[in-house]
Amino acid sequence: MSKTYVVPTEISELNRVEDKLELLKDIKRSFSVYRIDCGSCNGCEIEIFASITPMWDPERFGFKLVANPRHADILLCTGPVTRQMYYPLLRAYEAAPDPKIVVGYGACGSTGGIFHDCYSTWGGVDKVIPVDVWIPGCPPHPASTIYGLATAIGILDQKLKKVEHKDGSNEAPVIEKSVFGNTLFEREVMERARVMMGYLHGRELHKVFTKAVSSIKDIYNPVSSKKSLLEVIKKEEDPRFRECMMILHNDVYLKHLKRFKNIDKCNPAICFTKEEMELAYD
Amino acid sequence: MKLLDMTRKYGNATYEYPFAPYDVADGFRGKPEYDYDKCIGCTACGVACPSNAINVELNEAKDKLVWKFDCGRCIYCGRCDEVCPTNAVMLGSNFETAVRFNKEDLTESAELELECCQNCGKKFTTKRLIAYCIENFKKVGWSESVIQEKTKYIKTCPVCKKADSVELVSKHFSKGVKK
Ligand code: SF4
Ligand code: SF4
Ligand code: SF4
Repeated sequence: MSKTYVVPTEISELNRVEDKLELLKDIKRSFSVYRIDCGSCNGCEIEIFASITPMWDPERFGFKLVANPRHADILLCTGPVTRQMYYPLLRAYEAAPDPKIVVGYGACGSTGGIFHDCYSTWGGVDKVIPVDVWIPGCPPHPASTIYGLATAIGILDQKLKKVEHKDGSNEAPVIEKSVFGNTLFEREVMERARVMMGYLHGRELHKVFTKAVSSIKDIYNPVSSKKSLLEVIKKEEDPRFRECMMILHNDVYLKHLKRFKNIDKCNPAICFTKEEMELAYD
Repeated sequence: MKLLDMTRKYGNATYEYPFAPYDVADGFRGKPEYDYDKCIGCTACGVACPSNAINVELNEAKDKLVWKFDCGRCIYCGRCDEVCPTNAVMLGSNFETAVRFNKEDLTESAELELECCQNCGKKFTTKRLIAYCIENFKKVGWSESVIQEKTKYIKTCPVCKKADSVELVSKHFSKGVKK
């Protein structure tokens, strides 16, 4: 949607950056925060109310939520500005006393977030009114909220800076050596680990399992490698990791070993039996 | 008085933050951290990102691939982390992401050099991606001749690959047709 609202001169003249910094310097009282919901999914509201609980206590810095834009110093705008909330947002903006500090809250308030190209939204508060502070997050953690509000009034310093990487080498990133001399083994371990435990814990499982396998002395001897893996499994505290490591041994390790040696995959001396797997949860 | 007793019993519940660091929970999804040296420019993250916070596209002169990230749009879903083959982008624990007055500070960008197709000479993918593939071939334990054949294959752009295979098929096809 194209921009239609132009900030009236009497408002923009009173809202220069210097005026805002001056206000922050001489305020000598609490900051009143007015929250405008411009069509947010309510996730951001919940986090705002989480951050005004005693756990986070923003009144330590003097932030107080008020129920009327005419009392507000800071406007906290959540949501991507839907068509229906366009005029209410403008009314609240014009009603707030000058100079006012506008905060785009959440991914939606900053840039439109997940709704940035939705037909019925403006894609961010700054497409409609001038915004001073952006607090990204979907929704922002209460700690981010506290940090963002403290940045807004200048108690804390901004930490993010624009980063531009240029002129790197054209070398490939390092690929670690495989225990079998074939990275397809590691790849399959990663794949199975992710299927079983998801990307976050799967990565952890992959790390633990490959570390255990690479510490095995004779990788081509399934009996001794089962024994040494069992040692590692016994030390592992999380039962899910214990079971998944047994499955990886049975399904992936023995499968790859079969290419080098003629083995029987169901031989209880080299694979983990059903009873052993059940013991993982004891 | 009763209230004061209760307060004494439960102690102070307020976190010290921002006067003391706040330790995030295990598995916390913070700002995605990007490692330029590991990125091979495969664009998987750009395809997976549901809110288009990551965009991977050619620059204006069309001679570099640019990886762009806008923290303001990121919804911390972790899909980029999930698909990245080299773990170049991983969700970190940084939650102090607010910026004041300058929205550009939320962005991050990286440039990668492009490789030309060996047949038509057009640029089609990054040099690092090709180097990464060749490095992987070596670690799989293939013989030298297989590696060379595959290297030739990946250094050809998709358009030329298509033309090549059409040529190959039509050659075999014309053999079977009686004149
Ligand atoms: S930023 Fe996320 S949580 Fe907040 S309103 Fe938008 S979608 Fe909802
Ligand atoms: S965490 Fe999700 S939204 Fe953020 S950059 Fe990654 S894929 Fe995109
Ligand atoms: S998925 Fe990883 S390697 Fe590929 S472009 Fe994204 S960050 Fe770079």
